[in-house]
Amino acid sequence: MTQADKLLGRWLNTNHETRGIAECTVARDGDDISVTITGVGEDGPIQWPTVKATPLANLEEEAGQRTGALLATFDLGFMRAETHMRVNKGVFVIVLFATFLDDSGRANYLNREFFYKP
Amino acid sequence: MTKQFAQICDLVETEPIRERDIDRSALIGNWINSNPDTSSIARINIFEADGKLQLQAFAVGPDGLIDWGTTPADVFAAGPASRVGAGFAATFDLGFADIRLQAMIMKGLLVLAQFHLIKDDSGRPSYFLREYYAKTHELLN
Repeated sequence: MTQADKLLGRWLNTNHETRGIAECTVARDGDDISVTITGVGEDGPIQWPTVKATPLANLEEEAGQRTGALLATFDLGFMRAETHMRVNKGVFVIVLFATFLDDSGRANYLNREFFYKP
Repeated sequence: MTKQFAQICDLVETEPIRERDIDRSALIGNWINSNPDTSSIARINIFEADGKLQLQAFAVGPDGLIDWGTTPADVFAAGPASRVGAGFAATFDLGFADIRLQAMIMKGLLVLAQFHLIKDDSGRPSYFLREYYAKTHELLN
């Protein structure tokens, strides 16, 4: 099992009242790794486009374990979401850096959310 | 205008916020790695120039610190209606590698995710590091 394999699977947000990312699926597609995110919408889930992720080895142990990370960027047209993902003690962590590309006046922002494997 | 969103937290009403409107004071300063045995970035100086946030990084080398030079950083707020700077993203192009940095402030610490993307043909794998930095008031040269 590679470091990236520990990130594979369907991950649900630990916060059931999140207004951000509801769930994330990491899948192996041949030599590639793909990431699919579902955002929380007004009237139901919002499916983000599936993107290819860059797997990166972690050279150091963190919390007594060594798990790789993924780097994935989602181009949503009006917004670019650059993310990195990793697992810490079984918790999947997504850190998101959102850059608005429209002229809505919203601030570019970052957010961190936590996910578990059901 | 109708605001597009991919998650409901992005649907906010706010007066226009430009990057220069975001308070960067928590980010600006000299930051030292909490791990004195690090083999990566030992310290980072963060300052403003020409209205942009700038980073200067110093990494551990065999004969002392290696100055990576200065690169501009994009500032990120704590939310889409926030004017409080909570982190930054930047890239150092070192020729043989791009070092992508994603940083956020947590409890006074700068948590720095480093993505070392190797570009040369040395066969070295790209790798990830996550380290912690404390703001120091000592003068660093």
